Formats: sequence, structure tokens, C-alpha cells
Amino acid sequence: MDVIKQMLTGKLVEGYMPMQMLFELGSFALLFIGAFYFLGKNGIKVNKLAQATGLFVFSILYFTYRIYPPIPFSVRAIYATMTLIGIFMWVSSTEESWKDFRKPIIAVADANTAITKMIRTVVVVLLPFLVGFMGYNSMKPNVDEPIELRTVHPAPPASTKVHGKTFVLQTASSPYRVDDAGKYSDTIQKTHIDGNPWDEKAPPYLQYVREGGQIFFQNCHFCHGDNLNGRGMFAFAFNPIPANFTDPGTIAQLQETFVFWRVSKGGIGLPREGFPWASVMPPWEQHLTVDEIWKVILFEYWHTGYYPRTWD
Amino acid sequence: MNCYFANVSRKGLLIAALSIAVGAGAGSAVLWTSGDVAADSGLSPGFVKGTNPPKPDPKMIEDGKKIYFRKCVWCHGVDGAGDGPGADRLWPRPRNFNQGTFKIRHTASGELPLFDPNKPTPGQNDLFETVTHGLPGSAMPSWDGILTEQQRLQVLSFVTTQLVKDRKFDDKTETVSILNLADKDAIKQITYGKESIEKGAKLVVDKKCVECHGTNGRGDGNPFNLKDDWGFPIQPANWHKCWNFRGSRQDPYNVKNIFRTFSTGVNGTPMPSFADNTTVEERWDMANFVASLCERDAAGKPLPIDPQTDKPKINFVVPSGFVEGEIPADPNDKKWQDRERRIIGLGGQITHKPRNFVNRIDDLWMKSLYNKNEIAFLFQWDDRSKSQVAPGVNVVPIEEAPPKTGEENSIAAKQNKYEVYNDAVAIQFPAKWQEIVPPEKPRYLHGEEKRHVDLWKWEADGTLKAYTGSGWDKPLEERSGATGKLKLVKSEFKDGLWTVIMKRPLKTDDKDNDAQFETGKYIPTVFFAWDGHNGDAGLKMAVSAFYYSILEPPVPIEAKVYPFLMALGMIIAEGWILRRRASKKKMTKS
Repeated sequence: MDVIKQMLTGKLVEGYMPMQMLFELGSFALLFIGAFYFLGKNGIKVNKLAQATGLFVFSILYFTYRIYPPIPFSVRAIYATMTLIGIFMWVSSTEESWKDFRKPIIAVADANTAITKMIRTVVVVLLPFLVGFMGYNSMKPNVDEPIELRTVHPAPPASTKVHGKTFVLQTASSPYRVDDAGKYSDTIQKTHIDGNPWDEKAPPYLQYVREGGQIFFQNCHFCHGDNLNGRGMFAFAFNPIPANFTDPGTIAQLQETFVFWRVSKGGIGLPREGFPWASVMPPWEQHLTVDEIWKVILFEYWHTGYYPRTWD
Repeated sequence: MNCYFANVSRKGLLIAALSIAVGAGAGSAVLWTSGDVAADSGLSPGFVKGTNPPKPDPKMIEDGKKIYFRKCVWCHGVDGAGDGPGADRLWPRPRNFNQGTFKIRHTASGELPLFDPNKPTPGQNDLFETVTHGLPGSAMPSWDGILTEQQRLQVLSFVTTQLVKDRKFDDKTETVSILNLADKDAIKQITYGKESIEKGAKLVVDKKCVECHGTNGRGDGNPFNLKDDWGFPIQPANWHKCWNFRGSRQDPYNVKNIFRTFSTGVNGTPMPSFADNTTVEERWDMANFVASLCERDAAGKPLPIDPQTDKPKINFVVPSGFVEGEIPADPNDKKWQDRERRIIGLGGQITHKPRNFVNRIDDLWMKSLYNKNEIAFLFQWDDRSKSQVAPGVNVVPIEEAPPKTGEENSIAAKQNKYEVYNDAVAIQFPAKWQEIVPPEKPRYLHGEEKRHVDLWKWEADGTLKAYTGSGWDKPLEERSGATGKLKLVKSEFKDGLWTVIMKRPLKTDDKDNDAQFETGKYIPTVFFAWDGHNGDAGLKMAVSAFYYSILEPPVPIEAKVYPFLMALGMIIAEGWILRRRASKKKMTKS
């Protein structure tokens, strides 16, 4: 509900970009069509071509300026083509609307009045210039950033060896996600989600959370941020920017053992599709013990309020 | 969906309630009343008298405590003394709340900041705005989107009542003098423009700003002797990087933020308030001048700021432009001046030991030119001091010990006490990038054993050497033959700015180890920088992400010819369509 509230304020909600885009575009399309329908009911007929052009121009502007981070031109071109097809399907859905759509075009081509004659002259003169300009623009050398697509969550190995010990990802579990008796518990986080890890009488689980937090704030926040959203002090320098744990697409989607593998082996331990050469994520086995790694992961889930995915 | 409508109606109610409050409270219920300042009020020009804020509701304090121990305690500590587990690896250190000393305020120097637990109004709630926008240049992030407005007010209710120990916000002996920026009559803003900037340039000299902030405002005037109220070293702001101003409120080019800092000073630091010894107009002039120094594009427009990071937008390509004849050695030469510069973001190297948690160099500005035979790179970056290794000093970078020994062993306490090494920059290319299929690259940190890199490193002692890197864990190996081909065209330190130009032939004989430059090809590039006064050496350095260098190819002949043919084709098509339409029309008529 908080997310919808944020969306209504017009702010981009991190992690919900595709949903928000569809939501907004859908609302605007409905608004457009509704407005034209309303105008038509009240005797103001807006020509279909004008409607279609308005809708198309609006979507282009939306793709270019609204979506952040900006999407590359090639992707925008695909979106624009799809939008164009959609608009054509809409205007050609009935014989009547298709005729209405064609009417101004034919009127300009025929040029029976002074105004259409003027428009035709302008179009006839401008069109070759436009085509030539677009041709030059696409052929002149460009030095834009190349698009390189990286797999964000690559397939994990079956097992990983950290500090001489082998962890099988399917069967290993966090030794600190435990109840007061020291037994692994899926529900312990939920029980203490509002607890205070700094309380001296805190149960073992929360004490581990506190220890994990201490490690996080001595090592991880420089990139992943003090609020765990991937906007630490160093984040702006790196590409891609560090993982945002508050985004529902990161740790919330992953098993705890997957995160253990990623933290232990770091960027250099990624498979090729994950771009190991570009990641500055340290292989944390060089800086932390196995226990410390489990604790910091425990902390990340508790702090964001997400639960690790389970194997089923 | 039910819930969604409930939210909307609640918002509606809120708006209704607010408008009633505003209507009813004209003059009495608002935080302060505006009006003429009496001559004997003791207030500085531009300030009005305010009232002490109400005490927060106990429930808010209680809820705020929960948030504090979830989100804030890690840096600010259990007692709010700025000594949480994260504190000792941070510089600047997290705020110690106990004394009630806060930097960014609308109140007179020395006074508590504005905080009202019930009103998150911009310009009337300093602490709320600090939590909302964060403090760039420090580890304090923006909490907007992470904590709701109500949660931010709750946690501040806890901090201001329980963790600020030496003073009380509702204490009637606490004076509240407010810089009321909303009062257009008292605060006549001087428009940003040439005239005001020129006046400001004189004023910052008269008012001795340059003594700390440096002749050109790069924060290099007095970089090593300043301390904050707690005895930790502190550096004057660099006016060229307004996006790092703590009080920039995610709006770095806004002059109002700078005017506010001039008017209120920065509590807890040597930065005084200028409210008593300048007029409002003079402060605007100074603020306009400071804003004018912030880096801008060639047309003088503010740099576009990336809303994801609140820093200048980065383009990860460094294009090299072709010039006829000699590449100039003077960066002010027209050939260099005409080139677009690109910003390179830098973070501390914290992937491998020795890690660099505080990188004093956080960006470089790059330009590149090439001619028939050579390629040149122009590096410019801000550094508050020229650092050069003293004879006989053994260069051994250290990683800070794990922070468990308290403040005296913290990074903040150790600033300015490091052994001084060389300032340095380096640029790295894959040795045989032609053989690697993009997007693959040798690893950013000195490449890999089987895919080595060609790294050129300049140091402040005047050396420029070429090295082979074959992995982060192997020492760089100098190639003396390649070093001979590198040429240091210029290296100069002036008023807090380093300028280094280096060049090399485009092609060399050693194709296995020297990067070869071809036009129109994207060549992966990584940048490194060292600040000698930060104890930087070896892997203790600042690193960039991957960039691409590309030698801009000349416009091909096809691009000059084909567009004309395409336009011609269009004209023919138009003629054909119109003729067809005309004959059709004739047919229907007849």
C-alpha cells in the first residue's frame, strides 16, 4: 500500500519501475481516450489522426524523460515501434475511425483549400530534409556508451568452499538464524522483527543481528549505504551501482546460501555472465570469517524486513 | 484496493486540516511571526525572532527510539555520542548529538537547529530536512523513501529529547533567531549574475574566506590545522564541488543553501556566521560567487546531477579528439579548451587489503587528444596539498586496524598524521584488447595473469612509468622500454589543482605488452589516484569503474553522400504519391 501511495505522488519507486511504468502509461492512455470520448459527447470532435499523434508524442516523451535511469535509444526505438503498432490497431479497429484518421492526410494530399495547400508545401519541402538529417545522424560516427547487459543473479554453483570448508548451497543453512534453544528457525526473524538488538537482554538471534550490523557498518556501507539501498559514499563512482537490498529484486529473491556464496566470493568469483571484471565487490573471505559473513547476511534480512527465499 | 482509497481520503483530510490550520493560525499559531525587526531586537539583518518548539508527544519519542535502534545506532551510537560501530572508519565522523551542536540550520550561530515534531515544513524544520536529504560528502544518506515522514519526525523526537543531553529544545532560555528565507522583503535575493559574482569575489577576500578555502576556493587554504569541537581534523569545503556541500539539500546549485550557510555559520566547526559583519546583500554576493565556482559545463550551465546518486552524471566514455600537428602542452591552448571534458568518479579501493576507507580524491576531469602519431591524456583533479615523498621514507601503505580501540585510533583522529607519500594518478588499458570480445575485459584491478594490462603511472616526484599488471595480488612490473616511449608533457600543482598531461605514440613495436590505439575502437580504461597526504600508496588508492577510451574517427565519406541520396529518394517518392493521388482525383471527378 505504501508503494501505491508513493506511486501516486509521482515519485519513481525503486524496484517497481516496470510496474509503475505500465501503471502510469495505462492510466494516461485511459485518461486520453476518456477525455476524447467526453469531448466527443459534448460536441467537440477531435480528429483521430490528432488523437493518435498526441498519444504517440506523449509516449515518446514519457519513454525519454520519465523513465530513470534513462533507457538507451535502441530500446526506446523498440518501445516506440510497439506503441505505433498499438495505435494503428486502435485507429483501424472500426471502418469509421480509420476513415476519420485518413481524412486529414488525404485532404493535405489533395490540397483543395489554401490551408491544406500551404501544409502540403511545407510537408513536401521538410520531409526530404528530415530524411537526409536522420540518415546523416545515424551514419556519422558516434561515441556513445556501448550497451552491455549483465546477468544480475547468475546461476549459483552447487557448492562453495570458504576458509577450507565446503558449503552445499542446497543443504547449508545459516548457523545464526536460530531460536533461543539454538535450533534453526524460519520464524525467528518474524518474532523479533521489531526487537531491539542493542537491548542487553536481547535473545541470541538479535545479538547475532547486532554483531552482523557492526560488521556491516565497518565494511559494507561504503558501497551499499547506511540505509542498505546501494547508495553508499562510493556508490556514484561505480558502474553498475551497488546492489540495493531494499529493492524487492535483490536479497528478497535469493536464498540465504546464495547470498553467502556471493558475499564470500565477491565480484571476482562471479561467472562470466555476471561481469566479474567490473565488480568491486570484495571476496569477503579475504576480510571476514565464515561466522562474520553469516551474521552480516542475517543483519541484512532483519534490517530490510525481507525474508530469504527457501528451496521449494 | 480498499486500503488505497483509505489512504487517499486520509491525505485529503490532512490537506483540509492543514488549510484550516493555516487559515486560523494567521499570525498566532505559526512558528514565528514575520514583520519588521525592531532596531533594538539584537537580531542580525535577515533574522526574525522565533519561539521554542513544542515538546514531542511521548508516543512519538517511544516509536522514534525503535527506529533509532534499527537504523541510526550503527553510526551514532547507543548514547548518541557519534561513536557507533561504524564511526571509527568514517571521516567526517558521525554527529555526536549530546551537545546539541548541529551544522545545517536556519538559526543564528550557536543556536539549536529548527525542529518541530509536528511540522515537516521545508525551511522550518532543519533536522527533518537533514534526515530527508542526507549530508553529501559524508556517510549520512538521504532517508527519503526508506523512512516515512512520520517515522523521520519520530526518530528526531527521540534524538532531540533523549540524546541531545546538554541542551533542551523547549528550554525557554534557548533563543530562537530564524533566518526567514520566505520573507521576500527582509531577504531580498540578489539575482545570480556577473555583477553580483564580481562583488562576491572581492568580498571573499575581504572577509578572509580564502584563508581557509584557498585562493581559488578548492579548500586548500588551511587544510591541515583545522579541528572541530571534538578535536577531530576537519577540512574547509571545496567550492568547486557543490554536490559535496553538506547543506546542499539535493539541490547543489541553489544559491539559497550557500546564503544560509554564510548567514548561520556551521556550528561545531571553524566556519563562522557572517550575519553580523555583512549585509544581506553582501551575503548574496558571496553566495553567488561561491556558486559560480562550482563546476559547470562549457556553456556555463550547471552539470546535470544524477538523481540516483546526487553527484554529476557520469558518461563512461572518454573520447579522444583528432588534431592536426603538435598536441599542445598548455591546457589553456585552444585545442585543449575546445575539447569536452569528462568527469571520472572515484571510490576508495576496498576490494583487497590494504583498503582505503577514506579516499580524499573523489573525481578526476579527463580530456584526450590525438594526432597522426600520438595520443595525449590531460588529467585535472583537486587536491588540497601537493604531496611528495621525502628522501629516505620507506613507502609502506597501511590498512587501518579494525576499529575496536575507540576514538584515538579512528581514521578521523589519524587524518593529517600519515607519512607523506607521492600524489599520483594512473591509467590502465588491457594490453591486447583487440583479442578480447566485448563486454569481456581483464579485471579492473591490474588485470589477470593470462590477460595482463598496460598501466601508466605518474607520481608527484616527476616520474612517469609504464607497468605490466597481471593481477591484484602480483606486484606491478615496470617495462623500461615502454617507459621510454611515455612522455610527461606537463605536471603542475596550483591552488589546489593538479594538471598532468602525458602522451605516447599510438602504435609501438611491443604489441604483446603495450596497448595499441586504433581510431573508432572502444578501449577499456580504468583510472587510479593517490593522495600522498592520505598515506595513499600501492593498493591504498582511489579507483574508478570501467570507462572506454575512443579515438573519434573522422566522418566517413558515406555519411556525407548517402543522406543526399536518401533526401533525393524522398523527393521522388513524394512526386510519385502526389501524381498518383492527382490522377485518382481526376478519375473520381470524371
